[in-house]
Amino acid sequence: MNFSLWQITPVTLFLIFIAPVAIVLFSLTGDYSENWSHLYNYVLIGYIKNSFYLILGVSLTVLILGVGTAWIITNYDFSFKNFFEWALILPLAVPPYILAYTFTGLFDTFGTANNLIREIFDLSRDFTFFPKVRNVPGAIIVFSFTLYPYVYLVSRMAFINQSRSIIEAGRTLGLNKLEVFYKLAVPMIRPAIIGGLMLVVMETISDFGAVDHFAISTFTTGIFRTWYGMYDIETAMQLASLLLLFAITLIIIERYSRRNASYSNAMSLYKPLSHEKLRGFKNFLAFSACFIPIFIGFILPVVELTYWALNYKLDFFNEKFISTAWNTFYLAIIAAFFCSVLAVLINFSIRYKSNNYLKFMSSFLTVGYAVPGLILAIGVMQMLTFIDKSFVSNIPNIVFTGSIFGLVLAYIIKSYALSNSTIDAGYQRINERIDDVARTLKTSGWSLLSQVHLPLLKTSFLTSMLLVVSEVIKELPATLILRPFNFDTLAVYTYVYAAEERMYDAAAPSIAIVMVGLIPIIILTRMIRRSRPASRY
Amino acid sequence: MKLFTEIFVVLIITFVTVGSAFAKEVNLYTSRHYDSDDALYQKFTDKTGIKVNVISGKGKALMERLASEGTSSPADVFITVDAGNLWKVQKDGMFQSINSSMVDNIVPANLRGPNNEWVGIAKRSRVMYYNPVTVSSDEMEGLSYEDLSDPKWKGRVAIRSSGNMYNQSLVSSLIANHGVDATEAWAKDFVGNLARKPEGNDRAQIMAVANGEADIAVANSYYIGLMLSGKKGEEQQSAATKVELHFPGQNGRGAHINVSGAGLLKNAPNKGNAVKFIEFLLTDEAQSHIVNNTYEFPMREGVAPSDLIAQFGSGFKEDQTAVASYGEFNPEAVKLMDRAGWQ
Repeated sequence: MNFSLWQITPVTLFLIFIAPVAIVLFSLTGDYSENWSHLYNYVLIGYIKNSFYLILGVSLTVLILGVGTAWIITNYDFSFKNFFEWALILPLAVPPYILAYTFTGLFDTFGTANNLIREIFDLSRDFTFFPKVRNVPGAIIVFSFTLYPYVYLVSRMAFINQSRSIIEAGRTLGLNKLEVFYKLAVPMIRPAIIGGLMLVVMETISDFGAVDHFAISTFTTGIFRTWYGMYDIETAMQLASLLLLFAITLIIIERYSRRNASYSNAMSLYKPLSHEKLRGFKNFLAFSACFIPIFIGFILPVVELTYWALNYKLDFFNEKFISTAWNTFYLAIIAAFFCSVLAVLINFSIRYKSNNYLKFMSSFLTVGYAVPGLILAIGVMQMLTFIDKSFVSNIPNIVFTGSIFGLVLAYIIKSYALSNSTIDAGYQRINERIDDVARTLKTSGWSLLSQVHLPLLKTSFLTSMLLVVSEVIKELPATLILRPFNFDTLAVYTYVYAAEERMYDAAAPSIAIVMVGLIPIIILTRMIRRSRPASRY
Repeated sequence: MKLFTEIFVVLIITFVTVGSAFAKEVNLYTSRHYDSDDALYQKFTDKTGIKVNVISGKGKALMERLASEGTSSPADVFITVDAGNLWKVQKDGMFQSINSSMVDNIVPANLRGPNNEWVGIAKRSRVMYYNPVTVSSDEMEGLSYEDLSDPKWKGRVAIRSSGNMYNQSLVSSLIANHGVDATEAWAKDFVGNLARKPEGNDRAQIMAVANGEADIAVANSYYIGLMLSGKKGEEQQSAATKVELHFPGQNGRGAHINVSGAGLLKNAPNKGNAVKFIEFLLTDEAQSHIVNNTYEFPMREGVAPSDLIAQFGSGFKEDQTAVASYGEFNPEAVKLMDRAGWQ
């Protein structure tokens, strides 16, 4: 077999990127401590049950929110539609744990919202209007309203690229609007939706902050309880490996489910979008459907945080804040850029060499997203210290561990799933015949990538950057454990306060995270809007 | 490709400059996160010219980093807010003896490592807060943690979840004194007395008492100082005035004590500076800085606690159980609480 650059590059990268995940999985070959029998007898079933309900509830809710709003935006014209189109992404800037803090601040028995209701209606202190939120349904709401943008983004892109002709054919054949939606439009973009949904599921199971705040015992809180409380990191790693295996199973099922399907667009049949103008009650309904997710996922936490910040801690916005915000910003941009480049290279290699073994590797890289951040960070750290000790042992201090380089590497490994899902979806939409044409014109290898694919992938590339930027800005565990001395990001500040539930103190840095996250979201959504084909019609 | 090259160059430059070292410095891994600690480190630098480099993070995560870095770790001092963590690092052989007569003279034997590998720098007690309207002072007289399993407290007690290390240390200390079986029996009855499913942090428990959701709460001593100071807003300040503080076990072992502590790492590259730093933390100046900002109790005799805490009485009886035992019994405590259904 003749190895080319397009095969060797991904293999090398693969080895570096897979090492941290492999380190976690490797724990399964170790001894199983007696703590396992304790876990099995007393708590494991409860952990699994809660995680299961969480995944189920979040999946259903984000499907409705994400696909629903994408369909409305793509097909109808209504009040503030142009605003909603990009504003629906805003909750991406809000980490789930921050929404969780907002929720308890508002809806606890003596939270702001309940107090307000009592005051307005002059009710006694025993009366509590809003139901308790520190439970599984509360957590489902928190995750759904912060994570639905993943599904919204991919569905929106897929709907835009969906051929009008097929929808029109469906209408001609007697399907009503609803039937067109769930019998034609949604099944056609199924791979994209499932891709987005997988990200949501992986982020939900790996979350610690929000469920811990709500005192819900999930699989991930169990991992940390075992590590922190029982001082047993081996068993914690073994538990994390089970999460990994779960994610791998999901990925295999997803690959299998689309094995025979080809979803490439028939470019010649592409027709521009036409929007039906909505009036009256329907206009109001469409408006509400888009406004509610933004209200709960973005406006509510921002207003509450601003209120707290104004009342308690404004001195946070000083010179140190500027350097911290800058750290956060450039780390996010660098990581997003390399992560997206990596995803393009790997996906190009897969397509160019159409190699099953590369496909498998790429899928495997994405499972890092399902591992709780701190566990993955431990894997990254062990890999870095291993490299330090083996290759640079003549230098007195640690080189890679606690370096910016190590930090960026950790971000890329954690976020690769985000880039891969968008770039992969982007490639699905490029007709394979384009490659054949290019080959007949003697365009191949690097020039095929740079002159043919990249221009067509521009939207996907920018979307990938957007997702990774917002992920890195919110990222905490890897930053905490891998950072150099005296190096802070905004998320570190939030954590420092939020860890002790000093939410009033945490409000200012939280607002800063949201604001710094908004800049790339706004810039990139503008670029995405300009770059996609439909805008030219 | 130009952008690619540029980003790469920036990355390399940042990466190299961050690695450069200062001659007079001490490297600190800490799981304490107080703004006031930064000011404290600055005082040390002003005094000695030694720069303090800090990485803060979760205790267990920092311990994993220490273990992974091994002999090439740049860390000199590890600071954490739970004696259990210090015990674990000591047991894993990552500390060395501090060798300072000043430290030996100030810190009592039950609040440091067996070979002075680590020392407490400030104390906190896990105390009770009660509502004087619904609980009489007769009921509180001599009340200990053990007494809270009594059926008369049914539906009246608030405490945070068992995932919290302060609770784990408290239960560990009970195991150290009564053994596993007796403590488990106690825990089952205690959990049955809870007014609500454990939720929120220590301050949320105090708020629950102030709001009438519970009659009595178990929480750390410094929280009341923090709330009374007004730093947490008017609502918490006024709530704090509605509760009374009770030091448990005054007719028995005394109130449960835990420490914020500092340990000297085995491979400390700046050992001399590190010892100076730990000694500095025990000076009058540093001690009064700590107690007036965090409302902990001082380690050094002669330094007065903050007035906000001292008003509840500072001459209370402290449990003399060695804080190192908390670490030893911590895993058992967690499993015990799982079995008792303590969420």
